[in-house]
Amino acid sequence: MLAVLMITWRETIEASLIVGILLTYLAKIGQTKQFRYVYYGVSWAVLASFIFAGLTTYVDLFVAGVGKEIFDAVVLFVAVVVLTHMVVWMHHNAREIRGEIQKKADLAISSHHLWALAILAFAGVFREGVETVLFLWGLVLQAGGAVSFSSQVVGGVLGVLFGVAMTWLFFKGFGHLDLRLFFRVSGVLLLFIAAGMLAASVGKLIAADLLPPLLNPLWDSSRLLDERGLIGSIVAGLLGYRSRPSLMEVISYGMYFPVVVLWLRLNRHDLAE
Amino acid sequence: MKKAIFGLLLIIFLLAGVLLAQADDRMEIKLTIKNNRFVPDEIRVQAGTTIELAITNADPTVEEFESFSLNREKLIPAGKTVTIFLPKLQRGTYEFMGEFHSETARGRVIVE
Repeated sequence: MLAVLMITWRETIEASLIVGILLTYLAKIGQTKQFRYVYYGVSWAVLASFIFAGLTTYVDLFVAGVGKEIFDAVVLFVAVVVLTHMVVWMHHNAREIRGEIQKKADLAISSHHLWALAILAFAGVFREGVETVLFLWGLVLQAGGAVSFSSQVVGGVLGVLFGVAMTWLFFKGFGHLDLRLFFRVSGVLLLFIAAGMLAASVGKLIAADLLPPLLNPLWDSSRLLDERGLIGSIVAGLLGYRSRPSLMEVISYGMYFPVVVLWLRLNRHDLAE
Repeated sequence: MKKAIFGLLLIIFLLAGVLLAQADDRMEIKLTIKNNRFVPDEIRVQAGTTIELAITNADPTVEEFESFSLNREKLIPAGKTVTIFLPKLQRGTYEFMGEFHSETARGRVIVE
């Protein structure tokens, strides 16, 4: 039961990380009424996970070939693009944000930014959702049918609940930071999360045999910190840590930062006009 | 304009990566999942071989091939065959398992 609990706990933390960031960020800029966009994304993702889980027994192309790896790579890449846009947006609005430290800023968010939030929430949950649903369903079947509650099923569901609770607690802590500090910290954190997702996307393309690993693994720090463990999975989710990354993934991760900094610098000149 | 340049750079980078990906001849190895076990459960290869695993799930329930050391994870629905590309491996033993039946579905790739 414990092993199953750890698995679903870990996957839920990864999935709910993005959701936590989005909700905390919206709350900080006084836009709690836009929470529903995030909830839309999450509920569609949960629904889509169940649908896809039901379909995988029939969808050959998606499963047998490298369709799923490519799909995951694209979903992750979309998340990277959206996260980067968020960081750039926060950077541009830094002046307005700083000018309103005492009361919550009422920044106008255009409608396509709101849909970007829904898409991001969807991407974050759906990726892990299909596997988690299949895993839990497999456990239910093993236990002998839909109405059985073996200790494994209980463990699996508890893992999901713990994952959600832990992410919630973590972001509650963030909510207590003052506005300026929050935006500075979250901006940096988002960059690391995006870099980690970019490396993960590249990892999927390597698994699909579309990119070469170059050197695999570049190092093995699994004895120091294993991303399958509790702390490891948080560090993996927030900082993109991997204990056995390939050279290609490390390069992608490293290259993300200068590219974004360059992008921010270039865009600053636009604003100065 | 800047977005176009970034997009182009990205495409060039990806294309370079794809072209660099060696078109090695991969050794095809077949595995079957039967009664929640891998058959065979041990694969021996020489270091430097690139492997293409063809895993057939002969059980009536879905399984997920997972290996931390090989860094691969893939769902295998009942009755289906999936392909998993393994990277060039260094000498050592790499464990893998069927996550949904992890007590019995266990195997290893031994690279010598």
